[in-house]
Amino acid sequence: MRMLRNLSRRRLRTALTILGITIGIWALVVFGSMANRINDMVGKGSVYFQSGAISVWGGGGDTPKMNPLDLALEDRIKAIPDVDVVVPGVSMYLSDDNASMSMGLPPMITAQPAGLTTGRDTLILRAAAGRLLAASDEGSNVVVLGCDLARQYSKQVGDTITLRGEEFTVVGVLAQTQTQPDNSAMIPFAAEQRLYLTTLPSLVKANLTASNVVTGFQVYPKPGTSPDTITAQIKALSPELGTMTGADFDKLAGSYAAMLNSVLVGIGLISLAVGGLSVVNTMAMSIAERTREIGIKRAIGAGRIRIVREIVAESALIGCIGGTIGLALGALLVTLANEAGRSSGTILFELTAGTAISSVIFSTVLGAIAGFVPALHAARLDPVAALRYE
Amino acid sequence: MTAIANPIGHPARVMADATVATAPLLEGRNLRKTYRLGRRNTVEALRGVDVRIEPGEVVAIMGPSGSGKSTLMHILGLLHAPDRADGAAGGSDGLRPELSFGGRDVVALSDGERTKIRAREMGFVFQDFNLVPTLTALENVLLACDYADRGGRAARSAALEALEMVGLSERAGHRPAELSGGEQQRVAIARALVNRPALVLADEPTGNLDSARTGEVLGLLQRLNREHGQTFVLVTHDQEVGEACDRVIRMRDGLVRDEER
Ligand SMILES: Nc1ncnc2c1ncn2[C@@H]1O[C@H](COP(=O)(O)OP(=O)(O)OP(=O)(O)O)[C@@H](O)[C@H]1O
Ligand SMILES: [Mg+2]
Repeated sequence: MRMLRNLSRRRLRTALTILGITIGIWALVVFGSMANRINDMVGKGSVYFQSGAISVWGGGGDTPKMNPLDLALEDRIKAIPDVDVVVPGVSMYLSDDNASMSMGLPPMITAQPAGLTTGRDTLILRAAAGRLLAASDEGSNVVVLGCDLARQYSKQVGDTITLRGEEFTVVGVLAQTQTQPDNSAMIPFAAEQRLYLTTLPSLVKANLTASNVVTGFQVYPKPGTSPDTITAQIKALSPELGTMTGADFDKLAGSYAAMLNSVLVGIGLISLAVGGLSVVNTMAMSIAERTREIGIKRAIGAGRIRIVREIVAESALIGCIGGTIGLALGALLVTLANEAGRSSGTILFELTAGTAISSVIFSTVLGAIAGFVPALHAARLDPVAALRYE
Repeated sequence: MTAIANPIGHPARVMADATVATAPLLEGRNLRKTYRLGRRNTVEALRGVDVRIEPGEVVAIMGPSGSGKSTLMHILGLLHAPDRADGAAGGSDGLRPELSFGGRDVVALSDGERTKIRAREMGFVFQDFNLVPTLTALENVLLACDYADRGGRAARSAALEALEMVGLSERAGHRPAELSGGEQQRVAIARALVNRPALVLADEPTGNLDSARTGEVLGLLQRLNREHGQTFVLVTHDQEVGEACDRVIRMRDGLVRDEER
């Protein structure tokens, strides 16, 4: 109560200081939520690789590509001693223009031979409406949509959707996975091969037949064997092949995510530091104004520790109020942005309880720290000099 | 003597004992204070003062402006330490300063120990800025209880009683800005008295008051002195205040010029 009265003595100044902290915490909450979302996607991707699968693609390099490969490679990979299962797959972007400009996960069209189950998937897909694809779908134009895609195009089971120039009937919508399948359309294998071929330049296309083309393989090693010995043998088949294991993914995604996270959190922290400095400034000014009052308190028997405690508590309160408002505004923005983004399939933020709680605790502690130096100064004042202060 | 060592509870007994044992409540010798403004520029505010204050006395310190009255009061009230005799801050003739309060040597106490004595055994009234502006009259009085580690219901009723003593019960919930100068001064007096300290030090407590208000405050102090046997040291310019006191210490140029009864 008394602290609030002190704060309300200079309402505008207090409000501006609280605003400084508010902006800082707001930035931290928003960017922190963005970082959470990135970590989440990386984590889910990692779950996918926990099955021990190795991704194989054409064109080499460290990151998956969607270059054409010959389906015949499947048998050569299967011939590698420790390989258990090989699943061919075709992937392409939903359209050419969103390949480069999309943030987060790009919309994709994917296919694997229907009904082929390895029993080893760790990311289990479920249909929220309708059904998943079955072997009997081969030869018909049907599609199962990821939940974000379905929402973006407002499609339900029974609707038709045009993919790369062909009409498909929606037979199922996937439950949310928080990762790539949310933004994917899954179609029968032969249809995918046919559509994929149309996306290639005509010179490349001329040498390929649709039924023999794939963009990659998922290779499952026999249980108990190290993926690394297999990747070496796969690469030995052709220098054109690129591979990624779970460990590779973690390293790659982890380093991207870590860099992005530190940039995001860094931005938040810088704005918070500015807010913190404004608390230091406010408390220093407010203490200068209250010099005589502090002199009186000291003269009639307030100890130094007590003076420090009062001032630190007051600035912690500023931090706490600013933090709470910042969190509220941040949560509002994150929620609105996610709602808006949901329809276009890009969910950028995830505000966790941890981020929320720690941001308020952080701002409170920051306020306390910011008040500490002015508080020490006040406690060291000579009471007589303070009383005489004009 | 035991009562002096713990003078908060029974000031009346302090006085009764003192008349028998004549132990001073406060005694200072060779008190000096030199303010250093620059390398060469120093002000000798006190140049070797001896004072002795008996329990239950009402003493006025008078003298022209700049004669060192406030400086002396700050030293007696443990707000400042007297200069050491080693010459570091002025004491040139090498006489060690001595200061005792209630029989204890207080020259070398730490800031924390001085603060504790101020909180529990002394009351202060200053000339113009006395009250914390954001707090009500009652809360200002309660501050003193708080610093003396008294809390709860007992402190609250003591604070209300102190306000009643100075005739301000009605104003307990008012902030200083809503009180007249005289009323503010009386709140400060209530605060100085709420812990029933052995010694009340006041620097120009009536300096900002007209003569009617001065008489009021003075009458109050005398009544409290009579009823509770508290010791008062008042710094004042006002001849009327001086005459109402048991004794006047007259200062000039940092020295005690004479004392009169
Ligand atoms: N903090 C200080 N720094 C420098 N000089 C000071 C300080 N405080 C007091 N003095 C000087 O010490 C001398 C004594 O001051 P003091 O305040 O004790 O006088 P006083 O008798 O209370 O005067 P007044 O009646 O005007 O209040 C004065 O010359 C004053 O200028
Ligand atoms: Mg003075």
